[in-house]
Parts: sequence; C-alpha cells; structure tokens
Amino acid sequence: MSDDQVPQPRGAEQGISPLRPYLLTAGRAQPVDGTLEIEAQVLTSRLGAASHARLTFERREIVSLCRETKSVAEVAAMLGLHIGVARVLVADLAALGYVVLRRPAGAFTQDLGMIERVIRGLEAIR
Amino acid sequence: MDSKQFAEPASVKPPTPVKIVIAGGFGVGKTTTVGAISEIKPLTTEAAMTSTGAAVDGTGGNVPSKTTTTVALDFGCITIDEEVKLYLFGTPGQDRFGFMWHDLVLGALGALVIVDTRRLDDCYPAVDYFEKAGLPFVVGVNVFDGSLKHDLEDVRWALAVSEDVPLITFDARQRLSVRDALLAVLHNTFRRASAAS
Repeated sequence: MSDDQVPQPRGAEQGISPLRPYLLTAGRAQPVDGTLEIEAQVLTSRLGAASHARLTFERREIVSLCRETKSVAEVAAMLGLHIGVARVLVADLAALGYVVLRRPAGAFTQDLGMIERVIRGLEAIR
Repeated sequence: MDSKQFAEPASVKPPTPVKIVIAGGFGVGKTTTVGAISEIKPLTTEAAMTSTGAAVDGTGGNVPSKTTTTVALDFGCITIDEEVKLYLFGTPGQDRFGFMWHDLVLGALGALVIVDTRRLDDCYPAVDYFEKAGLPFVVGVNVFDGSLKHDLEDVRWALAVSEDVPLITFDARQRLSVRDALLAVLHNTFRRASAAS
C-alpha cells in the first residue's frame, strides 16, 4: 500500500495489465478491503437495488448480477473482468452498502464441524 | 421486484463459502475435474498476477523484480446445504504464480494435487507450496485410460511426499470418482485437524 506514494515505472505497479482494466476502478489497483476473498459471496442489498439507476456501467452490472448471490470469482467471470478489478468494485459497493458480503469464517482446516458438514454434502452426491 | 430478491442483510444470508484448491501442471485434468462435479459450467476468469522475476533471486529477498502476468483461473461450485457452498478452484501449477496461490490457499479446506504419471515433475511446485503453506493435500493420480502405468508407491517415491500424504487414483471425467477424490481431501484435513486438537 505504501508503494502507492512512490512513483513507479509504467506497468510496474501491482495488478496493472496491458489492457488497463483499472481505468474501471478510478485508477486504483487495490480494493478498499484488500483481503476480500475470491470466494466471498455477494448479494445486492435493497439500497443497491434502489440505487441501480444511478450507478455506472460495471457497478450497475454487478448490482444487477448479484440479485442472486454470486461469488467474487463468478462476478469476474460473468462480467469479463479481471479478478483484481472485480475485487475492487465489489469491495467499493460493499463499503457503500449496495451489496452485502458473506465471507469465509476463517480457519476451516481446524473446524471439524464444517469439514464434516462438507463431507456429508459430498456424500449425498450420487 | 419482490422483497426476497433485494433482501436486507438480516433477512436472507448468502451461504458461507468454503473451497478446495485443485492444483497440478498444465493439461493434467484440472478443468475436467472441476467440470465433472460442478453444478455450474466451469467458469474461467483472468487473474493478474504479480510474480517474482526469476528463480535465481529466490533468496528470500522481498523486492525481486516483479512482472505482472495474466493467468486463467477455472472454478466451479457445489451446494453443500442451504448455508454452505463449496467452491473448487483450479489453478495453474507453475511456481511463478505463487502470489495467486496465497489468495487461493487462505482459508481452503485442503487441496487436491492432480498428477499425470507421464509428467510427474509438473506437480512439484504445487506439492512444495502446500507443504510450506501447511495446507493439507492429497495427491490424485488421474488415470485417463483406467490403468495405472506406475505402482503408486513408485509415484510416492518419485514425488518425495511423506507417508502421511494420501495418494489416490481417480478418473477426472467421472463425477463419482471426483467426488471420492474430494472426500479423500476432506478426510485427510479432518484427520489432521483431529490430531492437532
């Protein structure tokens, strides 16, 4: 993050691609919340739905898409965005209250209850 | 239009996401594995990776020359129950994409390292990474034609993975075979978590 203060050669900044996708994110390469997981669930809030018409292209598309819950990765894939761009946009929308996030609850590798639950779910597949 | 679609956070909760990482070299069947069991058609997205410049600077210095690469990330998902959704992320196995692996590995339930016995060394970076990251993993030999060319213990020896890393065979094209491979991953994670607690 502190790198942002330092002038860098063009393209050297983390996340900049030749396609300049970060034009979509007002020039930022880092989400407001840099830890947003790519599997985090995104759901449009009532506020987001009501504000739909005022949002610009990509933000509007995300708010439309996430009327049904999607992961950040799905948002990226379905809207043709780089994962990094999707993270920035989703984190922005969440900070504004336009979408609600459900994030993984941490150290699942130690959560026996969750592991058992996923095992049961997979065992149900025939 | 109806309130259910635009629910407030309190009324409808999105599911808790969990994930398993599917790793391995190019062309070993990661996408096939994801596609065999995912309830959505596997999606591909591009991730811009900051990668370290070259292996020769791998001396622990934290400012090696950086380049940005774009790699494809394949993924699918399985609904476990009303509150839990399992994501499968298929990731390129090259060690120069280690930066993405950090994101993928964080919070994962475990990993399946897919191996093609014709090109065993393709999976070394993944095995190395998961060992270092402490993520429980299972090595799955993808048996394309139903027959295994090598004895499994030979594969273990060649990969130099320890005895406590499960080694299985599976068929990436078969839904139930992939299910069993994922179950092996989860049972392995469960066993380790039980031992640790």
